[in-house]
Amino acid sequence: MKEMDTKQIKAFRGIGRKQVMDIIMPFFLVFLAFLLSSIWITFMGKNPLEAFATLFRGAFGSATSFANTIKKSVPIAFCSFAVIVSMKGNAFNIGAEGQLICGAIGATLAGALFRGLPAPLHIFLCIVASALFGMLFGLFPTMMHRFRGVDLLVIFLLMNNVAEYFLQYFVLDLFKSQNALVPSSRAIEKTAELPYLIGPPYRMTIAIILVLICAVVLTWFFNRTVAGYEMRAVGQNRQAARYAGIPIGRYTTMALLLSAMLAGIAGGLEVLGNYHCLYTEISPGFGYDGIPIALLCNANPLLAVIGSVAFGALRNGSLAMQAKVGISSEIVNVIQGSLILVIASNYFIRYLLNWRRRAK
Amino acid sequence: MDEILSLLLSVIRLCTPIFIAGLGNMFCERVGVLNLGAEGMMISGAFMAVLGSFLTGSAWCGVLFGLAGGMIAGAIHALICVEFGGLHAISGLGLTIFCRGVAKFMCVAVFGSTYSPNVQAIQTTELFAGVPVVGQWLKQLSPLVYLAIILGFLAHYVIFHTTFGLRVRALGDNPRAVETAGIDVWKMRFIGVFICGLLCGLAGAYMGLGQLDRYFDGMISGKGMIAVIAVKMGNWTPIGIAGTALLLGIFDAIQLKLQISNTLNLSPEMLAMVPYLAGIAVLCMKKKQDGRPMALDTIYLRNRYKF
Repeated sequence: MKEMDTKQIKAFRGIGRKQVMDIIMPFFLVFLAFLLSSIWITFMGKNPLEAFATLFRGAFGSATSFANTIKKSVPIAFCSFAVIVSMKGNAFNIGAEGQLICGAIGATLAGALFRGLPAPLHIFLCIVASALFGMLFGLFPTMMHRFRGVDLLVIFLLMNNVAEYFLQYFVLDLFKSQNALVPSSRAIEKTAELPYLIGPPYRMTIAIILVLICAVVLTWFFNRTVAGYEMRAVGQNRQAARYAGIPIGRYTTMALLLSAMLAGIAGGLEVLGNYHCLYTEISPGFGYDGIPIALLCNANPLLAVIGSVAFGALRNGSLAMQAKVGISSEIVNVIQGSLILVIASNYFIRYLLNWRRRAK
Repeated sequence: MDEILSLLLSVIRLCTPIFIAGLGNMFCERVGVLNLGAEGMMISGAFMAVLGSFLTGSAWCGVLFGLAGGMIAGAIHALICVEFGGLHAISGLGLTIFCRGVAKFMCVAVFGSTYSPNVQAIQTTELFAGVPVVGQWLKQLSPLVYLAIILGFLAHYVIFHTTFGLRVRALGDNPRAVETAGIDVWKMRFIGVFICGLLCGLAGAYMGLGQLDRYFDGMISGKGMIAVIAVKMGNWTPIGIAGTALLLGIFDAIQLKLQISNTLNLSPEMLAMVPYLAGIAVLCMKKKQDGRPMALDTIYLRNRYKF
């Protein structure tokens, strides 16, 4: 695929000059996506309003459910950071799903194989391992893209499939637990488990603090450092960046590798914080969640945190919806898909809104 | 001998969906629309085909349903990419996620689980049973395989020997020139993406009714993306696509054979990766892109939508 030139980037960042429009637009797009999804709920003979009310209550209704929402939003936030970083460097990382899986594998290996380390060091090592595994998995497509001009999106999507099978192989065969009821890998050591910030029954780990730190560091990186500035320049206008003497190929590669690392950490934190071992269903599509968030929040890491909480609420609330209203929690993926489709037609929706205002 | 022939049949069975979807993608890319939604179109086609066969009890009605399913997905892609001026890659990605979600959602809603029950399928062609010597082999393939072969020749003829094909090829390289010549660029692009939807739907229907006799979640897993690769590797020509599809089908067939016979004592999950790795290798080995439509993945917006 051709690189995204400035015109295209403008197309999905929006062309309207009005600041108000820029703020209202994301909410309007989300509203449209919900509207599209409610068609399917109505089709099943259920009341969509009741369903979404249950979803909302399931996500924010009690302290426990709110804690669960926050927990769910941690990997989503890291995946959205991953997509944001890649977008800043003029690429589009849709391989976050595969990198997340590899990061989870890395964390599991480091968590189970290193023994007798003090807790902080062990946790640090596991997170480093997950970042490293994520990066290594992103390395091959990135290099192929840079040196052979291979279409990034196609190779990333295929790598996701490879990662899924490798995860099955890893969990069911290579590293399987001998005495578990559900097929899972060996559990990580006690010293590798993330400490609780708020203990049971909420079980909120320090992962949420890592998310906030990461968001702040990324904002600082993009706004206050030379490397961040140059990376942004590459993302916004390749030609101008090249004339300014910025090595564009190097920055795109760097952005993709950093992005893969962040996606890997997302998987690592899932293992270290939530499950303490690896299942085949470690990710219900967290990697794809990052894409609409990154596009909607205009590649702003701080806003992405809010977007991730919203998506976490969706994932958590859908479970309550499944239990109470009887609508399959698969509706989340339908909402996610319709949201991306609606974002893709962003330009046209803006055109329609514009036309109405002009007609008045 | 029997061993080799059965392997050959297996190769043909496995490369057919890649070939059909690849033909569709060729039309789509030739008119300048990148189609990462091929996967979604195939899922839609496969699910609708199985649903149609389940509801009507007739496999051929199921194939029609599958075509309709693929066409609906194709229409969504066409609407966003051609009319709304959206980014093709994002639209395709959204379409894949959307179709996967809807198919799983509907599967649970209609069949009660992520697996559908067995339905009427068309896995054999009884018509060829009477042919001497080779009849017993020919009848083991689904009629859709023969349909795919006919479609391949038809696509070659349409693309290289008709006015429509000339316009499609021109459109992929320079839409502005085509518009200057007085041809409706958007109508042509719509038709191209529609054909792609139909053929991907057929490929999905083949996977649901020709290879298997049911739908389950994750059935298509990556076949659509492999079809996209086959188009690139096949240099945007039906013959090239057929060659690449056969090559990828061989890997798939060998992988399946090893999974069943278990001679190498590798785990099945390990072997299941082989077709994707082969696809990635094929993608990385291709260096020159001679036949690449120059206007691929460009937005060509109607004047009245510009603001």
